[in-house]
Amino acid sequence: MVVDMTTLDTGQMQKPDLAPRDNYLTHTRGAWSWLFTLDHKRIGIMYLTCVLSAFFVAGVFALLVRTQLLTPEGTIMSQDDYNQAFTLHGAIMVFLVIIPSIPAALGNFVLPIMLGAKDVAFPRLNLFSFWLWVAGALFFVLALVTGGLDTGWTFYTPYSTDPNSAMGGMIPAVTGAFILGFSSIFTGMNFIVTIHRLRPPGMTWFRMPLFLWGIYATAILQVMATPVLGITLALLAVERAFGIGIFNPALGGDPVLYQHFFWFYSHPAVYIMILPGMAIISDLIAVHSHRHIFGYKFIAYSSIAIALFSFLVWGHHMFTSGQSPLVNVIFSAITFSVAIPSAIKVFNWLATMYKGSISWNTPMLYAMGFIFIFTIGGLTGLHLGTLATDVHLHDTYFVVAHFHYVMMGSALVAMIGGLHHWWPKITGRMYNENWGRFGFALVFIGFNVTFFTQFMLGSQGMPRRYATYPADAGFQIYHVISSIGSYILAVGFFVTAGYLLQSMFGGRRAPANPWGGRSLEWQCSSPPPHDNFSETPTVGDCYDFSVLEWSDEEQGYVWRSDIPHPGEEEPAGH
Amino acid sequence: MMSKLLSIFPAAHGDATGPTFWMPEAASSVAGDVDWILEFINVISYIFFVIIVFALLYLAIKYRRDPERKQISGEGPTHGLALELTWTIIPTLLVVVIFWVGMVGYIDLRESPDDSYEVSVAAQKWSWTFTHPDYAVTEGGELTVPLGRPVRLVMTSADVLHSLFVPAFRVKQDIVPGRYSTLWFEATKPGSYQLYCAEYCGRDHSTMLATVHVLPEEEFQATMGKLAREYEDLPDADLPRYALTRLYNRCSSCHSLDGSTGTGPSFQGLWERSTSGSTVFTDGTTLKDYMGSGGEYQMPENYIRDSILNPGKNLVENYTNVMPNNFASQLKPRQVEALVLMMKHFDELVDEEGNIIEPPAAEESEASTGDGG
Repeated sequence: MVVDMTTLDTGQMQKPDLAPRDNYLTHTRGAWSWLFTLDHKRIGIMYLTCVLSAFFVAGVFALLVRTQLLTPEGTIMSQDDYNQAFTLHGAIMVFLVIIPSIPAALGNFVLPIMLGAKDVAFPRLNLFSFWLWVAGALFFVLALVTGGLDTGWTFYTPYSTDPNSAMGGMIPAVTGAFILGFSSIFTGMNFIVTIHRLRPPGMTWFRMPLFLWGIYATAILQVMATPVLGITLALLAVERAFGIGIFNPALGGDPVLYQHFFWFYSHPAVYIMILPGMAIISDLIAVHSHRHIFGYKFIAYSSIAIALFSFLVWGHHMFTSGQSPLVNVIFSAITFSVAIPSAIKVFNWLATMYKGSISWNTPMLYAMGFIFIFTIGGLTGLHLGTLATDVHLHDTYFVVAHFHYVMMGSALVAMIGGLHHWWPKITGRMYNENWGRFGFALVFIGFNVTFFTQFMLGSQGMPRRYATYPADAGFQIYHVISSIGSYILAVGFFVTAGYLLQSMFGGRRAPANPWGGRSLEWQCSSPPPHDNFSETPTVGDCYDFSVLEWSDEEQGYVWRSDIPHPGEEEPAGH
Repeated sequence: MMSKLLSIFPAAHGDATGPTFWMPEAASSVAGDVDWILEFINVISYIFFVIIVFALLYLAIKYRRDPERKQISGEGPTHGLALELTWTIIPTLLVVVIFWVGMVGYIDLRESPDDSYEVSVAAQKWSWTFTHPDYAVTEGGELTVPLGRPVRLVMTSADVLHSLFVPAFRVKQDIVPGRYSTLWFEATKPGSYQLYCAEYCGRDHSTMLATVHVLPEEEFQATMGKLAREYEDLPDADLPRYALTRLYNRCSSCHSLDGSTGTGPSFQGLWERSTSGSTVFTDGTTLKDYMGSGGEYQMPENYIRDSILNPGKNLVENYTNVMPNNFASQLKPRQVEALVLMMKHFDELVDEEGNIIEPPAAEESEASTGDGG
């Protein structure tokens, strides 16, 4: 390793079994130094901890839902309890888990280092975003203790604003979602400014790792779409609290207007969830195939194209809502345009694997699992974008299966793949690779068993959000298989949590570059020092892996001894 | 179920209108087209899925890194415009075709023929009421339609969003309060089909079900004739059972027969509570305060009648005002009378467990008019 490439601290890495003494984890000590840190890495860790805790809670609700549906008459819950369980599962997963998972948790940690910056552009705003997340989460807890929430995560009117219909926790819940929206907006703003202003010399737009392109496209969506959600939720609260007619026809309002407002945010939100996932996969596939990404510009532009198209397709959530058939036809046509950039990405990922040197380690398995799952999620989008078939499939389990394939099977699987990819960098420890593969197998099998059956369930006519179902409709066998799958999935996540936590205490110390990555985060120590880079790093082609070689001494990849570093005349040695 | 799982390809399935692996039984004029479009998209999806997954596995195996050799490979091409254009243009053309086919099918779904038979649908938490204006017939929880004639539903909601969904007909339409929605279908197979509420509407959303009965024209006419007269022709003695078998299903999601607490008070013991005046209201008064000479309700019958027609007026303690207040327009006077009589004779009709007591043999023919419905 060479000083001008990375940091003055790298000198300490030469003894691989000694962690750098001064890294971001040891730089300062005490709870205070974490809770009010301005270090993007520590904020990322706090996000990660909180997001995964929320994921656990939402997962418990999901298991309750699946258990209830084992029999047609329901097994464990009343109708009211079931309605709360699926609402909380959805609301927590969307607002508290998936939206912040990759950008705010992993992105916070990785983005500035990848870019070659010392921190994000506005570190205080970054900390504020995190505390807004915590405040939003507390409002969801408040919603639970003030009467519960049973509207579904979509808060559809007039059910949600009629005091005689929805449960009492409505206003705290939308306040929570409102606050979480601002957390997301601030994170997006921070990342946009960081990417525009803090790129070091040499980090041109088209030298950025594709993860950064994906996060950048996501940030645009966060900043432009989320305010609409904020305004809509504020109107919802006003109608519910003061009886001012906006959406409720009994007060002179229009419930379909609410659906337009809601999906104007929530469709782009789907891409806030999936674009960072795609971004992770682009880098995972290249690094673990040791192969230059294929079609860099097509992938980068497809992220931006998806971000822009996503603003124009919200109406496809409303084909049966009563909006005019002409509007439906237009929205259907635009919807199909989103399919193209998604397909481009998949084919480019496959082309990247061609003539690669593909490691079957856990991050790569997650990346390949992502391609499998996202292919199914994307192709079933065709059934739903098509008008004639959507009328039948809308509001059935087909939709439930489709969006779980995209939001859970793709976005969250990418997040877990990314977590494994950057785990050595974050913690400075290696997890056990065999346990990692075993965990992946359980998650992959459990996921597909749970959700593939739901496609048949939906196309056979099983509506969403049903606590019970007719015994003679032939639904039960699918529900039973789906529930068994969800238990396998849960075991997979517990196994994953188990070996990751174990690795923090008993794992092998991680080298600076365990996978042979070329982007800048692999050039600083694991874990990185407090300042990331003591000197401004120089930047090369982040997908040219030919300049690296394996070092037995480091137990990781290092710069090839026979090639000079960029900006240096002489070959660099240790 | 096993045969259902095996019949992955509907073409291999003998009966074209029976259930397939993907779709339920098909029983409407548009179902065939919808199923064809779905299969068309399926085939495209299968092809892409197989190509992608085969390529994924092939590449992953063929170029798997030897775990002992940590080599860095960088041989393959980094870009290829021809390839990029190929996998941009082919999917683009395919989705244009899919869009077009789906749009044409959708227009057929939405454009109801001019000579459609019209039915008014009233949706409310959590029941369905179907009114046939041509026959002045109202059905609750069951919709009887003629075979082979286009039927147009004109739908309204009394409270929140609902959605009418009949999987066998492949039709679905949200019902938005404050406006009319419409839906049409032409049933092509006699039989009974499940109707669901597909838009989440609160606590008992999952039991907001109904059955569509498709009858051949003559049978349909006969049934309508019978339903039109059924309560007018009935002797007063048969009205309580008529209310229980034909009207109660509109009350059943909230008012139990077995004494258990629902969204509204149980009908079990309602008559006793009303005659004794023991019912306590949310404002702390009891029914006794309103009864007797000089009171608002001189007889318990009047209290029950008022509770059906003006449900928010006297709220029973521990319950909220969720009952629709549109029954005055939905029920004929004689039907209201039947409901009041049902409460009065409740113990003769329903046992303590909430089971309906079978009528004596002599009355059977009259009381069972609706069962075939």
